[in-house]
Amino acid sequence: MSRIQRCQRYFLILFSVAVLFVGCKSVDKASQSDKLYIVTTTGMIADGIRNICGDAAEVVPLMGSGIDPHYYKATQSDLEKLRKADIIFYNGLLLEGKMTAIFEKLAKTKAVFAVSNNLSKDQIRQDPQNPGVSDPHIWFDVSLWSSCMSYAANLLVEKDPANEAIYKANAEQYLGDLKELHVRTKNKISEIPDSQRVLITTHDAFGYFGRAYDMEVHGLQGISTVSDIGLADIKEMTEMIISRNIKAVFVESSVSDRDINAVISGCKEKGHQLKLGGVLYADAMGEDGTVEGTYIGMVNSNVDKIVNALK
Amino acid sequence: MENMLQFDIDAFWIILTGTLVAVSASLLGVFLILRKMSMIGDAISHAVLPGIVIAFLLTNSSSQIPMIIGASLVGVLATFLIESLHRKSKLQTDASIGIIFTFLFAVGIILVSQYTGQVDLDQECVLYGEIAFVPLDRWVTASGIDLGPRNIWTLGACCLAIIATIIIGYKGLYLTTFDQTFAASLGISTVAWHYTLMTGVSLTTVVSFESVGAILVVAFLIVPASTAYLLTDDLKIMLILAALIGFLSVLSGYYVAVYLDASIAACMALMSGVFFAIAFLFSPGYGIAFKGRRAKMGLQKDYSQQL
Repeated sequence: MSRIQRCQRYFLILFSVAVLFVGCKSVDKASQSDKLYIVTTTGMIADGIRNICGDAAEVVPLMGSGIDPHYYKATQSDLEKLRKADIIFYNGLLLEGKMTAIFEKLAKTKAVFAVSNNLSKDQIRQDPQNPGVSDPHIWFDVSLWSSCMSYAANLLVEKDPANEAIYKANAEQYLGDLKELHVRTKNKISEIPDSQRVLITTHDAFGYFGRAYDMEVHGLQGISTVSDIGLADIKEMTEMIISRNIKAVFVESSVSDRDINAVISGCKEKGHQLKLGGVLYADAMGEDGTVEGTYIGMVNSNVDKIVNALK
Repeated sequence: MENMLQFDIDAFWIILTGTLVAVSASLLGVFLILRKMSMIGDAISHAVLPGIVIAFLLTNSSSQIPMIIGASLVGVLATFLIESLHRKSKLQTDASIGIIFTFLFAVGIILVSQYTGQVDLDQECVLYGEIAFVPLDRWVTASGIDLGPRNIWTLGACCLAIIATIIIGYKGLYLTTFDQTFAASLGISTVAWHYTLMTGVSLTTVVSFESVGAILVVAFLIVPASTAYLLTDDLKIMLILAALIGFLSVLSGYYVAVYLDASIAACMALMSGVFFAIAFLFSPGYGIAFKGRRAKMGLQKDYSQQL
């Protein structure tokens, strides 16, 4: 018995010493600046807010370049960012999964906003099978995204009136750029002949894109809504591609291309040459510092790939 | 630049959360290992899917409380099915675990594909929590009093219940684990103790999944108990050692995570593996470093002198 008691005593001592140590960390007091510190979830939001703020604020995304929200894992420094943040912007519509509940709670004590907040009900795509469940991929309709950014700009003005002039001027510029992007995208897509305006990808991120730019969208995983694609789906898809003479299909960044390759080889066997139109940016942008690492660059890159492959 | 030492309440909450999960899971893990049911945590992590889907279909929302209730019920159901299959069909427990969890997981996938359409509905998305965000998820009463992180309360209650059950039921759990015939001759019901243990396991796993995610829970159900198993032959010491190793994994794992700026749960699970490796190499009883010496002394694992 005494062995056990000794063990228990060691455990208690160790635990108390550890807890005392745990509580302490080194804090660098000097590094706190007066600039607004803004944290966003996705890179797309960060890019927009950066354009609106310029040098007036520091903008940090939680999900770095190339990180898909589905695979995002938080680290210790993410918690510190959220703590330190003066304003937090997130996408909303459950893109952030379980984190959404935490943001909703934080909103009671902190400036936390979903950029999709001001969208009206009929602007948001609902799942036909489950009314009340929304498609969160709003950034692929540039006009919709533009109204999200304008909403964010108004919030920035409200939270930091000292820099009102900067935010307003930058926002005007950026929203103008987005308007241009919307028009460009529309024009580009309309270059594709009507019968070819079918976007086939691996996943389901392009619903808003299809609605805004008049393209029929099919996700391989969405045809029969089976979470894992079955052989019948591949067959069905192959038949549709051949009967409608579709030239290309697309892969989304961060989704496996195995199933789409099966469709391509299926078409080949039946004598239909189907191209892989390229990898589209879906839930995350390209690397920082590249053109595709910005929202506008990412949309342009997708549109160019789609148009080149289908025209 | 002026540096100062400051009490970091976030780190404290994260380590406390990890410790509560580690202690509950490691203590249960000891019994699971001795009953050859270690993989039950992994099994439950898959088996809860139909519970989540049914909860979603009934409430048409993926809010937390229905998800947790659905997951818990199916978690308990899974352990009951595993045990009855094992008893009725004389199948090995590992085979029963495999049959039941793949079956339930498959039911979940079919439900997802048939009824939920485009909803992103899986454990990863709606059930698994993130330990880094535990300090942000406060429990605030209607009158506005902040009672601290919500998960600390649920995990704390769970941990206390597990410790109390083990202390009160020690004799029953011990006898039914090592010598079922002897236990039965004393009138102790092996079935009742088994179901008590399994209910504890499924509730702990679901509550912990909801707070810290799956990897940490599955790791803590298996690794600290296995490490302790290499270090001692005494069940009581094994329980204490397992909890201690769990706690040390949490503590060291947290600082590794801070240093690397990596996922906290993954680093804690990693450190439990490091402790296991140390025990595997240097355990006085089983470590491969002392193999030669042990052979001379003729040591063997023996539980028969404990009661």
